[in-house]
Amino acid sequence: MNTFSWVRRLAVNLRVQAVLWLIGAVVVAIIPLTATPYTNSQLSLVATFAVAILGLNLVTGFAGQVSLGHSAFLGLGAYSAAIATAAGWPALAALAAACVVPAVIGLLVGLPALRLGGHSLAMVTLALPVIAVPLAKRLSNLTGGSTGISAQPLHAPAWTGLASDQWTFYVVAALAVMMFFLAGNLTRGRLGRALSLIRVNETVAASVGVPVYAYKVLAFVCAALFGGVAGFMYVCTIGFMSPESLNLLVALNLLIAMVVGGMRSLIGSLLGGAFYVFLPEVASLVGATRSGVINIATGASVLLVVFLARGGVSSIVWRIWQRMRTGISVRQP
Amino acid sequence: MLALQQILGGVTTGAIYATLALALVLINRATGVVNFAQGQLAVLSTYLAWALVQAGVPALLAVAIAIALAVPLGALNERFIIRRVAKEPPLVVTVVTIGLLILLNGVTGFIWSHEIKPFPSLFPPGALHVAGSAISLESLGIVGVLAVLVIALHLLFFGTRLGLAMRAVADNPESSALSGLNVNLLLMTGWGLAAAVGALAGCLVAPKVYLDPNMMNQILVYSLIAVVVGGLESPLGVVVAAGMIGVVENLAGTYIGFIGNDLQIAVPLLLMCAVLTWRPQGLFGRIESTRV
Repeated sequence: MNTFSWVRRLAVNLRVQAVLWLIGAVVVAIIPLTATPYTNSQLSLVATFAVAILGLNLVTGFAGQVSLGHSAFLGLGAYSAAIATAAGWPALAALAAACVVPAVIGLLVGLPALRLGGHSLAMVTLALPVIAVPLAKRLSNLTGGSTGISAQPLHAPAWTGLASDQWTFYVVAALAVMMFFLAGNLTRGRLGRALSLIRVNETVAASVGVPVYAYKVLAFVCAALFGGVAGFMYVCTIGFMSPESLNLLVALNLLIAMVVGGMRSLIGSLLGGAFYVFLPEVASLVGATRSGVINIATGASVLLVVFLARGGVSSIVWRIWQRMRTGISVRQP
Repeated sequence: MLALQQILGGVTTGAIYATLALALVLINRATGVVNFAQGQLAVLSTYLAWALVQAGVPALLAVAIAIALAVPLGALNERFIIRRVAKEPPLVVTVVTIGLLILLNGVTGFIWSHEIKPFPSLFPPGALHVAGSAISLESLGIVGVLAVLVIALHLLFFGTRLGLAMRAVADNPESSALSGLNVNLLLMTGWGLAAAVGALAGCLVAPKVYLDPNMMNQILVYSLIAVVVGGLESPLGVVVAAGMIGVVENLAGTYIGFIGNDLQIAVPLLLMCAVLTWRPQGLFGRIESTRV
């Protein structure tokens, strides 16, 4: 292959990527104008849970520290946003509250929980949803107790002429793009390499000068912050928050969605969000409404992914994309 | 004597946490895995016992059958699911056990629905009156069962050839295989044994909390806290820690106004954070060193 054809192939690839990005942006811009409000809110939920799973990916996928209580941070963010909105704060201030509160709690939890390697974080974080649910019920003058709290931080400005579900979709999608961009930069740089080394071998990481404990805490705090932003997006989409959304099974399902979508992959986080939101939809579409069906499908999917396609759905997509692009079958690095 | 009553109640719930925690420690010692599906497997066994009782089998016999059936369930789980990922990083193994948890939860809900069901107590009603406080026969029975279980496990591991072989496999699988032990069979035995112990925990707790597919989630959290506080390596430490957790949370729930019944779980959680901060290997654990 001579230099010229190599350059041309690169140019074609870049152009293909740019075209794909453009198509994606146009589709995202057009969908809410034509879809039903229900579809819009489902798609906003996909973006919401994609951001939550992205946060989980930072600490669990990249740094290899299993967090089993991610729903607690999502819930903290959602409650912070809802309470701030109910107190009359503007949307940006509510978003700030939804970032700061989970990050601070994440720091307070992560400092002791990450002291011991191995399973300690998993065990501590598993307890978070279990304590968060009764705590949310108890603080009823703030959280509305078991009945929950209604709040809507977003109001479509009159000049846009958009319905509230359309405006919410645009704001939530923009937030999601921002968080994905942030996560991409975090994981591609120095921090991402250090976290991967911590996952593969902590002792080696320490011996080459990576501050293992500090970076693990940092990854956990980032995950909590992403969870908090997802919580804000959740309140924007649903307009409501109740203790049920903090449930332990929500946290376990988020972890499973992350693995099914694909660990350590941005696309995988998006696919994970889609898996989380659409699996119950698909189940009710095909008439599988009996109790337990969704959990059976969820558990079976993650076992299948671990046994058959360890990189999750995103690795399959990646392999097909590489195949189309180069004509060569490759495995994900 | 409210305080004495609360302490005894705490010891009883602690004994239940200890039973599931022992199952977790058994597995961890045999394979280095923390089996998050342990509680959910126990729920399945408890439902089997319930189904047998519905079919007219006496409660004690039904529980015995369910515990016996748990052994092949646990062994098959090891053979066909865990063994395929046993050599993978802990993250993969954890994800698999969580997947099993959700899957078994779904299967249980699918077969028996998510409606709560009453489960017969295994002990006669009534109470002993000692020093002005009443101790129910059920509490005495649960603590007695735990004591028998601890002694039986100790005798098994330190008094029989099977126990010696299982300890050898846990300590060094390769050397054990070279000296002629059937490592795979012994691993299956360990997982089967743990499933039986878990099934016992499920049948002990079901009369107190009612039967429902999610009933062990909270117990699992308590048992894991007991495992962290006591030390993953130390069965006796875990039993002591579980008892301590039961008593402390009961007393705090009764005497500290803000905590009450609903926030009791905050107490063991704080205890665990304190232990992790000042003694990360657990109260009775030992420090591990890593080779590069």
